[in-house]
Amino acid sequence: MPYILNTNEEIKQMLKAIGVDSVEELYSALPPEIKLKESLNLPSGLSEFDVKKKVTALSERNKPLEKYNSFLGAGCYDHYIPAAVSFILSRSQFLTAYTPYQSECSQGILQAIYEYQSYICLLTGMDVSNASLFDGASALAEAVLMTLRISRKKRVVISSTIHPEYKETLKTYLSGFDFMIEEFVPKSDGFFDLEKLRDTLRNDVGCVAFQSPNFLGLIEDAEKLSELAKKVQALTVMVTNPLSLAILKDPARSGVDIVCGDGQPLGGSLNFGGPSLGFIATKNENTRQMPGRIVGKTEDKKGDIAYCLTLQTREQHIRREKATSNICSNQSLNAIGAAVYLSLIGSEGLKEVALNSFRNTQYLYQRLKEVRGVKIPFEPRFFNEFVWEVENAPKIMNAFYDKNIIAGYFLGESFPQYKNSILSCCTEKKKKSEIDEMVFSLAEVLRG
Amino acid sequence: MDKENIFEKRESAPKADYVAATGVPLKKPSDVIPQKLLRAQLPLPNLGELDVVRHYSHLAQLNFSVDTHFYPLGSCTMKYNPKINESMARLEGFSAIHPYQSQDAIQGALELIYDFEQLLCEVTGMKRFTFQPSSGAQGELAGMLMIRKYHEIKKRKKTKVIIPDSAHGTNPATASMCGYQTIVIESDSGGLVDIDKLKKVVDDEVAAIMLTNPNTLGLFEERILEIKDIIHNKGGLLYYDGANLNPLLGITKPSLMGFDVIHLNLHKTFSTPHGCGGPGAGAVGVGEILEDFLPVPVVNKKNKSYYFDYAIKRSIGRLKSFYGNFTVLVRAYTYLLRLGKEGLLQTAHNAVINANYIKEKLKDYYEVPYPKTCMHEVVFSCTSQKEKGAAALDIAKRLIDYGIHPPTMYFPLIVKEALMVEPTETESKDTLDYFIKVMKEIDKEIDNDLEKVKDAPHTTPVKRVDEVKAARSPNLKWERTGV
Repeated sequence: MPYILNTNEEIKQMLKAIGVDSVEELYSALPPEIKLKESLNLPSGLSEFDVKKKVTALSERNKPLEKYNSFLGAGCYDHYIPAAVSFILSRSQFLTAYTPYQSECSQGILQAIYEYQSYICLLTGMDVSNASLFDGASALAEAVLMTLRISRKKRVVISSTIHPEYKETLKTYLSGFDFMIEEFVPKSDGFFDLEKLRDTLRNDVGCVAFQSPNFLGLIEDAEKLSELAKKVQALTVMVTNPLSLAILKDPARSGVDIVCGDGQPLGGSLNFGGPSLGFIATKNENTRQMPGRIVGKTEDKKGDIAYCLTLQTREQHIRREKATSNICSNQSLNAIGAAVYLSLIGSEGLKEVALNSFRNTQYLYQRLKEVRGVKIPFEPRFFNEFVWEVENAPKIMNAFYDKNIIAGYFLGESFPQYKNSILSCCTEKKKKSEIDEMVFSLAEVLRG
Repeated sequence: MDKENIFEKRESAPKADYVAATGVPLKKPSDVIPQKLLRAQLPLPNLGELDVVRHYSHLAQLNFSVDTHFYPLGSCTMKYNPKINESMARLEGFSAIHPYQSQDAIQGALELIYDFEQLLCEVTGMKRFTFQPSSGAQGELAGMLMIRKYHEIKKRKKTKVIIPDSAHGTNPATASMCGYQTIVIESDSGGLVDIDKLKKVVDDEVAAIMLTNPNTLGLFEERILEIKDIIHNKGGLLYYDGANLNPLLGITKPSLMGFDVIHLNLHKTFSTPHGCGGPGAGAVGVGEILEDFLPVPVVNKKNKSYYFDYAIKRSIGRLKSFYGNFTVLVRAYTYLLRLGKEGLLQTAHNAVINANYIKEKLKDYYEVPYPKTCMHEVVFSCTSQKEKGAAALDIAKRLIDYGIHPPTMYFPLIVKEALMVEPTETESKDTLDYFIKVMKEIDKEIDNDLEKVKDAPHTTPVKRVDEVKAARSPNLKWERTGV
């Protein structure tokens, strides 16, 4: 058996020291009727080589995204990850450590997380970030719950152009409470319906949640939204792609109260959608309602700089049923990965990644506009993805697949009103030639 | 060196050469986005790669970890994280696939999830699993929301959840998130659920009991079948917090103990690395009555091909975008294949032997308030040491000087000055003997050189950290001083 170090002789010695004759005696507290009479109906253990062969064979039945000319985004983005990121994250003293409860032997973890929090604050303009949540979807749910604790109100207005799986997650998280969610469909131009918000927003609304760039790729006017929300003392929650903040105004400056989202674009692998990390950041006055762990900078008893987990009286292990959330483990390693990525790439590098993603997407947009049979419903006020329409979109997407191209995400699946629409994304990795190939193929497919 | 943080380092020439621009027209954001929505400046540092790598490598060196130190952190099952798991999780076919690729291009991933589910069903006796939750706590939320919906559909008025006073903090926090009132039930003098008290508080409004078995004292709840009947007779369900499943692998199954829904911490029992506190994975298994309530999607098989099935009648919905922490599943699956049925049993046996060995060797030095045979962990009380001036905290900090990560402290809450020791099965007798020797040594130091213990740790990069100051005047992010 792998991974057990004790020899039979040592086990015998230990049993003797314990004062029993056999290991079975140690299980005498179990009622006999629940003890298994036979061994589990499982295969026997395999050698490392055989396991490697079996699992590798499974992996080879998946086709990595890079083998396609892909324009998939929709919440999970194929950016380049500098080689150094995974080298740092593979270091045992990050990979195999636990939550840094014991500050003195966890200073490196604590400092790295403090740096992650600082980076999130620099990007978002906010005062305080936590040490991470699970993903963008649960971060939205936690953010909305936070606003309802702060406002002590029961109604939530959300934009229907939040990522569909985030909305579903939010609804699941809120289902244990008596909160009401009202969903606003966008105007025909794809943007949040500000007029409707102005006309219908009442004092019992505690939260207005939206996404920008929204799920259709469009960049919302967060400032106007926040202004309207403030009139009824509702808090605003903005879901965003942190990479877009390299070129877009920081949400704090637009008056947003809580910003959250998925940190995967900051140096995270695709991982079939997980693990990534959720980020959440807010203003000072909301700190005590934050969910999850937070690292603070302090001193040791000699007065030297030191870090530790702090403000823990919000958390489940202290507050139990009165905690701000039940979250315990988060996604620390991915958070440290985001800090390493941002440090490697720097402000100029991050701007370049964002700008090249933007430029590639604008180029695809320009080229698609020229194709007969393609309709583009919205203005090009987007960051790295946009919507285009074509007759028989699902069929067209299949035809693309046959040419080893993934045209994007089929919107009709989650938005019936956009039944022939495709959401296409370009990252900085996209080559001009690949974009040209996609447009050329589309023209070919449409000609039949 | 390198006390400075990343924002205080010398800057290098700005670089943007990880990916070259590809020759498309250089459109400016302000061409299509109103200026007022754009950012004026991005105040991140620009550093050289070597400086960054050295900075974080140095930070790594400041930590204790399973690979470098004995890490007997109770309730966290800090077992060895096999390296083959890492190699498998990093395969391109797993780490570089997109969640929205067509299903014929991800058959291997779906088969892995499907096969892993079958194996876990056999290990636990449950009918089906969801792998969506990212942690034990999120698993609890999934499980308890299923229970809530189950009662709603049965139109039963259920308002309370019963939780022993030895429970993990996540249990009551989860019950609150599901809109339930928590009823805490005191343990009896043996450290187990007090059956008489349980009978008194259980009525028709009890939705569920949340139990860890073995409990957080490391003791097996011997009267689990009575508990099951008491709860089931009132229409309540049993939730199993699987944080402590490790000693029972191949010995019994949660289904045999009567549990209706369970979560497994794959980062504990199934050896995936803790990564400074995540990512983990909380697989949630259900018996037949809760099958229709699972989160969507699950993976099913038809004509030799695997697919995501969203058609679950009464699903509670999603808890996460996409399908869970998938590459954590790859690690846990690899581990399970490697161990097989014999390996699981030996895991359980050695976890229990190791814990009892420590208990036996140290019980004359540190009080064991609940002295029954333990399972995977043993809880000591440092009350007699405290009387001599050294609290559990001091002993924990002194262990660091000996190269041992402290056990869980002050938990469970029902033990005064608690140190909760979980050695796990992967540690050798040699390591345990060293730990035992050190614990005895510290006990002696308390008599002979109390200040040395109270001042500990002495060998770490920082001395004892002022947590009170951290909370009183929070400094939660770096700011340029003087600006």
